[in-house]
Amino acid sequence: MKISRFKSGLAPTLGAALMCATVLSGPVAAQDTAIGPVVGPEINEARAALGRRLFFDKRLSGDAAIACATCHQPENGFADGLALSLAYPGSKGFRNTPTLINTALAENWFHDGRIGTNLNDVTRESITEDYMMNMDMRLMQERVKQDPVYVQMFADAGYGEPSNGSIRKAIPEYLNTLISHGSDFDEGTMSESAQRGQELFEGKAGCIDCHYGPRFTDDQAHNIGVPENPEIWSDPMRHMTYAAFASFMGVENYMNIRQDVGAQIIRHPADGSDIGKFNTPTLRELVYTAPYMHNGMFKNLSDVVAFYNAGGEDTPNLDERVRPLGLTFLEQQDLVAFLEALSGDPLTGPEYVWEDPIPTNYTAIENWREQTN
Amino acid sequence: MKPMKNTFRLMAGAAVLAISAAAVNAQDMSAYPPLAPLGDPPIPLDNPMSDAKVELGKILFWDPRVGGDASTACVTCHEPDQGWAFSDSLSRGYPGTVHWRNSQSVVNAAYLGQLFWAGAAASLEKQAPSAAKGAVAGNGENDVMETRLAFIPEYRERFNDVFGTEYPLIGDAWNAIAAFERTLIVNDTPVDRYLAGDESALTEEQIAGMELFNGKAGCIQCHNGAQATDENYYNLGVPPAERWEEDGLAQVTFRYEIFAKGVTQDMYRVLHDDPGLYFRTKEPMHMGLFRTPPLRYTLYTAPYMHNGAFWDLEEVVRFYNAGGGENDFTDGTMASTKTPLLHPLGLTDDEVDQLVAFLEAFSGDELEVEAPELPPYAPLDAQ
Ligand code: HEC
Ligand code: HEC
Ligand code: HEC
Ligand code: HEC
Repeated sequence: MKISRFKSGLAPTLGAALMCATVLSGPVAAQDTAIGPVVGPEINEARAALGRRLFFDKRLSGDAAIACATCHQPENGFADGLALSLAYPGSKGFRNTPTLINTALAENWFHDGRIGTNLNDVTRESITEDYMMNMDMRLMQERVKQDPVYVQMFADAGYGEPSNGSIRKAIPEYLNTLISHGSDFDEGTMSESAQRGQELFEGKAGCIDCHYGPRFTDDQAHNIGVPENPEIWSDPMRHMTYAAFASFMGVENYMNIRQDVGAQIIRHPADGSDIGKFNTPTLRELVYTAPYMHNGMFKNLSDVVAFYNAGGEDTPNLDERVRPLGLTFLEQQDLVAFLEALSGDPLTGPEYVWEDPIPTNYTAIENWREQTN
Repeated sequence: MKPMKNTFRLMAGAAVLAISAAAVNAQDMSAYPPLAPLGDPPIPLDNPMSDAKVELGKILFWDPRVGGDASTACVTCHEPDQGWAFSDSLSRGYPGTVHWRNSQSVVNAAYLGQLFWAGAAASLEKQAPSAAKGAVAGNGENDVMETRLAFIPEYRERFNDVFGTEYPLIGDAWNAIAAFERTLIVNDTPVDRYLAGDESALTEEQIAGMELFNGKAGCIQCHNGAQATDENYYNLGVPPAERWEEDGLAQVTFRYEIFAKGVTQDMYRVLHDDPGLYFRTKEPMHMGLFRTPPLRYTLYTAPYMHNGAFWDLEEVVRFYNAGGGENDFTDGTMASTKTPLLHPLGLTDDEVDQLVAFLEAFSGDELEVEAPELPPYAPLDAQ
């Protein structure tokens, strides 16, 4: 982690973020628990447009090789279609890239929920984290200032001259635009099978216990017994990325564990009771975001439902609500049909995707010596 | 002159300056430590040399995994066949960047008490991490680099052998690299052999050049003693890099450096030249000052000066012959710090040639080292 750099100031922020995450994991207000359409925040168009260009701009990474959109791809529901994510060159990821659709409405972020403040902090973390974009934000600011298109867009957005601070505001403003709409569930056009699936979801299968509200998540971490992905430990480039992460997060014995400890890194309970807990993800847009779970262990939704039906893998701290469900084959199909009905229109149009080419080089400032920097 | 912070070893220079600012003549020149054959480099007590450590340091020097995206090793900018430097005015940078200074040779860096053009690092052990981590150099982070080393069985073995640790520590990587750099020594140049008593080591032209160096040309005022440097700081008036005016990428790096090195907002707005030592002291009188570089091996390290302003040694000598030059810190706009030690020398073309011939004799043969094989990653079994 780039703790040594101006940009990050990560240590104190993360502390505050983690504390916040703990506070927020109390009971959820009743009006949020009902399932129904997702309502997004108000949008400032100029700021969102600026955030959109930044999201697709590779110059926001240290070696200018990857953008946010390299991993969060619109055509894959802002995930990447891989079990385990890509990473900054020289590293490989150890988690599945989550969708960013509806992330604007989440209460905490990342599979372990380690950031509980806001998307400004998540953006900073994504930009500066060594295995994500490994960017010194001071250098990023100067790159952005060199691009006349940005200078104009920052001014139009009311931010004045380009700065780190407004980059970290504009990207979340863009994320605010990534809101689900148009699903059969929202439009009331679900098939009979999906309707039967909904009944199971809210009844016999008990999914609603954790997957509720418009985004179908309680924003809390649980251990549902997802098996480890062995590739994290057999591929040294993934393993080393996890080991460096675990060491930074203060995980004991990080060179010898062969398990992603999940939310344990937040409060480090001495009895290890948070080991293997991961955040409940949204169930929207699943048809675009396979494979599933924090480590991409399930290729398709039938596998996920079969996994729940079998009661999860037997692990310590397994949530008691995960238990053999006794669903028939047809019931499982109905449940899958319901999950599929939660996916809406793909967010691949120009309001979501920056389509103009983004330069990879920098034009020189004319009369440089006469200009103020 | 205001007294300077003694940490920068400027006091001696200030005293000397008072002598020589008056009038330069051959007699004054004898006040300076004479050139002398270069002995062995100092070895710090807390980082003793061993063959195993040097070999490890050599592999690490070549290994791009000691850096951010595993593309840019020390050797990438310090190429053995480019004088262990990089032959462009501004060094290449980390991918997506260009550096903002000329890459220095690592040959004979072992003798220096202050590393970098403006002396920002106090030892090779401290210099290596700032190279591996700087955003326009290695852009690596300690935890990532250290963990990578742990997943390379050959490194685990070698670090264990040299330092006794179970897993490699990144601080030990810097120690090993520093030890390797202490073997990159050139101290048997023709000039060294001549100074040691071998009169046949230099041609007559070179000997004439040496006399100019020690006398009329006044080089000895700063390039003196066995290392040919007083390790002091001066503004010669080296002109600002042209690339800053023409190349957007270089402009990005220029602003990044002044931003990252922490000048005031006002200063950030107006700087268009490298203020050198000023970054460390924030004293206006240090604007545009750079460390006197040692001159051995310069035959192979073109271009020259902190921003690579000059492409060959003759250009350098003609610059001195004209009394140095002008930059943003000589004309009073930002500062007027040009050293009074420089003034037009009145060297004839023949004398210029003689001086260049002497400088060339300060380099000896090229220092060649066989590139090591880089050890691969392997899965790590639990203990
Ligand atoms: C190298 C691939 C990669 C890049 C580049 C990347 N991300 Fe991510 N992103 C991920 C992965 C993997 C996670 C999950 C990490 C974890 O759980 O530890 C994630 C998580 C997130 C989350 C949290 C989502 C949630 O619901 O918890 C947000 C928000 C996010 N990224 C936004 C961004 C933004 C904005 C950028 C660009 C500034 C970016 N990401 C760049 C791979 C990437
Ligand atoms: C105890 C709370 C809980 C219950 C009950 C529960 N889930 Fe989950 N669900 C989670 C958590 C936590 C995860 C993430 C686990 C991980 O990443 O390892 C998850 C992940 C998923 C995913 C993967 C989503 C993605 O983007 O990767 C799907 C699909 C899913 N659940 C569907 C269901 C269905 C269907 C049911 C009912 C049969 C159900 N869940 C019951 C907590 C729960
Ligand atoms: C991207 C190019 C680049 C890389 C990579 C790089 N260097 Fe350098 N090196 C330079 C430049 C440019 C300078 C002068 C910088 C300055 O003065 O600010 C320099 C200066 C030095 C010096 C100072 C020499 C002197 O006379 O003071 C040493 C020693 C050195 N580098 C060693 C290393 C080592 C060891 C590594 C790897 C850990 C390394 N460098 C990586 C470009 C690079
Ligand atoms: C006032 C002190 C001073 C005097 C006198 C002086 N030099 Fe220098 N020399 C320096 C400094 C300081 C630098 C680096 C300047 C910079 O990069 O801005 C330098 C740089 C050089 C370089 C470039 C080295 C490299 O690695 O790029 C050469 C060659 C050189 N001097 C030769 C000479 C010769 C020949 C003379 C006599 C004609 C001379 N110098 C007189 C201080 C001096």
